[in-house]
Amino acid sequence: MTLVLPPKPRTWPKTLLIAGALVAFTVLTCLPAIGGVELDFASIAKNWRHGASKLAQLAQPDFSFLPRTWVPMLETIQMAVVGAVVAAAVSVPLTLWASRPTNPNSVTRGIVRTIINVIRSVPDLVYATILVALTGVGALPGLITLFLFDLGVVVKLVSEAIDSDKHAYLEAGHAAGATQFQLNRALALPQSLPLFANQWLYALELNVRISAILGIVGAGGIGRLLNERFGFYAYDDVSVIILEILVVVILIEVASNLLRRRLA
Amino acid sequence: MTNTAHAAGAPASAAWPIRLENASVTYPNGTAALKNVTLTIEPGEMVAVVGLSGSGKSTLIRTVNGLVPVTSGSVTVGPHEVSALKGRGMRELRSNVGMIFQAFNLAERVNVYRNTLVGRFAAQNALRSFFGVASPDDRRMALEALDSVGMLDKVWTRAGSLSGGQKQRVAIARALSQDPRVMLADEPVASLDPPTAHAVMHELTRLNAERGLTVLVNLHLMDLARDYTTRMIGLRYGEVVYDGPAASATDADFEQIYGRRIQPQDRLGAS
Repeated sequence: MTLVLPPKPRTWPKTLLIAGALVAFTVLTCLPAIGGVELDFASIAKNWRHGASKLAQLAQPDFSFLPRTWVPMLETIQMAVVGAVVAAAVSVPLTLWASRPTNPNSVTRGIVRTIINVIRSVPDLVYATILVALTGVGALPGLITLFLFDLGVVVKLVSEAIDSDKHAYLEAGHAAGATQFQLNRALALPQSLPLFANQWLYALELNVRISAILGIVGAGGIGRLLNERFGFYAYDDVSVIILEILVVVILIEVASNLLRRRLA
Repeated sequence: MTNTAHAAGAPASAAWPIRLENASVTYPNGTAALKNVTLTIEPGEMVAVVGLSGSGKSTLIRTVNGLVPVTSGSVTVGPHEVSALKGRGMRELRSNVGMIFQAFNLAERVNVYRNTLVGRFAAQNALRSFFGVASPDDRRMALEALDSVGMLDKVWTRAGSLSGGQKQRVAIARALSQDPRVMLADEPVASLDPPTAHAVMHELTRLNAERGLTVLVNLHLMDLARDYTTRMIGLRYGEVVYDGPAASATDADFEQIYGRRIQPQDRLGAS
């Protein structure tokens, strides 16, 4: 018995074309002659010794430095938590406004999305630099920076996730004469809560890592200490701080995984 | 050939009539889903809209509560001219028209109580909506509706963990808590197994008989239309091809509606 198959669609020419275009584009961006980036691999061979001595120092963390890190680390965690919590609260109405199923009005949806895109397109270091100038060195500029950064991430990712979900219950609610606000408050919000929770927890994790960088411009927390030790070339202290950030990030991830499993 | 003699039970003063006049719906993609449909449904009638998928019956039922606006012609429900309504007026009409769906359309992560309360939203003030606190009246009406479909013991259960038949009964309770004058049902039993399907159809006839509600139910199975409804409207390609009593509709009538021979899957069968 022979099985008669319909002709198999020919997809490989298209796949090949796309793959070829991607490879060509990547190669072209590495050619300085036509304005591509200059990649001087030879310099690695020339300079690796400088880096190697730093790596060697980093490999020998000086744990006697640890007690001096407690207070700045606590400040970082406080900034991370407060920034994430305030952003979480503000993200709820903004996300529901930015999502098609929960806001059928394309004008207001477009306005919210534009604002979020603007917030997202400004690098966090720029926020921190400006805010340090405005409010002075300390935790406040870092906190506001983290808040803005989290808001951009949460609203964009969650509103897109809500867009791609099915929301049949909204049709039933509209058929019963409910307003969009009532349905968002009573149904769409609890229905989308796991999507929110995922990004809120991710924002908290990001905050700890970002605040290490924000210290460079004086925005408080462990980052300031990190920057200071870098300035003194105290790489043994730097590696203690990096290890500490690693531990905190892992702890937050473990905790958020536990929470996520309970929320699902 | 409208047949009002089949209106079930005593005519209830609360029920509303439905009138479509030359109603047409053309979707933005150019599909003409409904073509010049004119029909009158008297208060308290139990009407089946029968047709194959794509015949326009989903569109027809959605013009009644304005979920699908008519492109031309008019739809009148009770005192309301549906095509002229928007905003508050549209919500006022919809609060009087209950609707249940093939996919039940419950919020799965929300409990049965909160899902049922949605039927009271049109009557709820903004402050109560914001804080999510129902008034004692709204609470009572939602719980009574759940009780009348036998779902009161599941009131704190998440909708997502109910069976299909239970979900459809909660959906009916949601519609009943509106204290509606018209009940719409879009393929209410197409996702259910035969015994549950018969139970839900029986529930709809009970609402029609006991509350005197005008009931408009979309079906594609001929025996359900014959056994549970009094009047049948047949749709094919968006046009009314049959309008008459349901019980005495012949196989030939169904073949005309379907536009093909009767097949075994056109019947659900007894349970």
